[in-house]
Amino acid sequence: MNEVADSIGAARVEFERMLQRNIKGLGYFASPAPVLGASPKDTLIAQGPWRLYHYHPRVDEVYRVPVILVMATTNRGYVFDMVPGQSLVEFLLDRGYDVYMVDWEAPRREDRHLSLSNYVVDFVGGSIERVMRESGEPEVSLLGYCMGGVLSILWAGLQPQPSLKNLAVFTTPVDFKAMELFQAWSDERWFDVDTLVDTLGQAPADMLFTAFDMLRPGARAAGNVRLLDNLWDDQFVKAHRMFDRWSSDMLPLAGEYFRETTKKLVWDNALVNGRMTVGNRPVDLANVTCPFLHATAEHDHIVTTDASAPLIGMVGSDDKEEVVLKGGHVSLIAGPNAVRRLWPKIDQWLGEKSV
Amino acid sequence: MAADHNSDGPNDPFALMRGWVGEWEKLVNRHGAEWLAKPEVAKAMQKVTSAKIQAEAARDEAMAKWLAAANMPSKADFDALAERFTGIEAALARIEAHQRYPEGATRAKPAPRRTRKPPGANQSA
Repeated sequence: MNEVADSIGAARVEFERMLQRNIKGLGYFASPAPVLGASPKDTLIAQGPWRLYHYHPRVDEVYRVPVILVMATTNRGYVFDMVPGQSLVEFLLDRGYDVYMVDWEAPRREDRHLSLSNYVVDFVGGSIERVMRESGEPEVSLLGYCMGGVLSILWAGLQPQPSLKNLAVFTTPVDFKAMELFQAWSDERWFDVDTLVDTLGQAPADMLFTAFDMLRPGARAAGNVRLLDNLWDDQFVKAHRMFDRWSSDMLPLAGEYFRETTKKLVWDNALVNGRMTVGNRPVDLANVTCPFLHATAEHDHIVTTDASAPLIGMVGSDDKEEVVLKGGHVSLIAGPNAVRRLWPKIDQWLGEKSV
Repeated sequence: MAADHNSDGPNDPFALMRGWVGEWEKLVNRHGAEWLAKPEVAKAMQKVTSAKIQAEAARDEAMAKWLAAANMPSKADFDALAERFTGIEAALARIEAHQRYPEGATRAKPAPRRTRKPPGANQSA
């Protein structure tokens, strides 16, 4: 008798789910996209593709050392500030950090001549100078994600930087030869980066999106099937829409910057080979002597462990730590996995070093 | 709706599909990546990309010539105009930000004290 009742109950649940899938499926296409990156902030710098934001503090007492998040140049920084409860920015503000972010807009035609040196020295270095003036503090902590991490270590490696109190990077590649698919697709024997840049003035966002998408050719189709399956679940749909919107919202790259990073980092693997230069100045990661943290993701399909692992041995810091956390390239820094794993680790590591 | 994603009921038509989709995704990712990494595939992809870029550039050039002959603004003209607007917007944003918070000026809301200590620091001190 109980078995019959259980079967009827289960059937009812599945019927309700089917109903919800249909109702919410219609709602999915009719409803507006979720509002992301809405934490109150001031725009301190808006110049070309370069943005520097200062988030409004949420507590009356903050740590002395301001924190600057440095976003990857291919994506938008709102991945650090998705929605309340799933925002690294909000998390850091609530734990008493004074938070700034270096973010990017799409470079325009007039920005095609921006070089790696512009990004490293002018944009990252310029942001640090502005934050020091804004906060009145002589030191900052840098937190760089992916290519934002590369820009951060390049700036830190140009010379000893007394203004750098702490440096934390997440999923930051240094051995670009280990990124096998990117290597294959940008092989200098047939990838004519000069023609691309000279013709278009930039690396188009749709080209970059396709390249990232093809790293896992089955992921998008499987993701759509999972969305259909879970249309009844508001939380799932909300999370899917947030991350889908963010991952599709890619930025083009300024032409010279793309040309230079392709030739130096991807073709010459200059960071690992000790030949890296920025604006004709050599980069030596032994110059990084501040406390250093590198967090990587166990299942990162974009920046593989082989590509990121050498970094910890290259920096000159005595106080350095590498953590490999569960998750993928994006779930390391945003979403429920990040809330449980990376964010508390950042707070625990950074808090005691921010006084 | 609070339901457990892992509790696939016996009547759930999607239950079988879930496992199948997972396996299919792994298979496609593995074999797809292997195939895409082949030099001949990468080379073909780059040839297609290059041809597409050249074709787009040629089309834009031809269109610009036609529009110029018709005394009409081209896409490049509109882009230039958009750049000017963006520049004006950025300048306005800077002016607004400066009006709200001039550098070195006291903010309407007092800045927070920069004296915070990590939890536990007070007990151990």
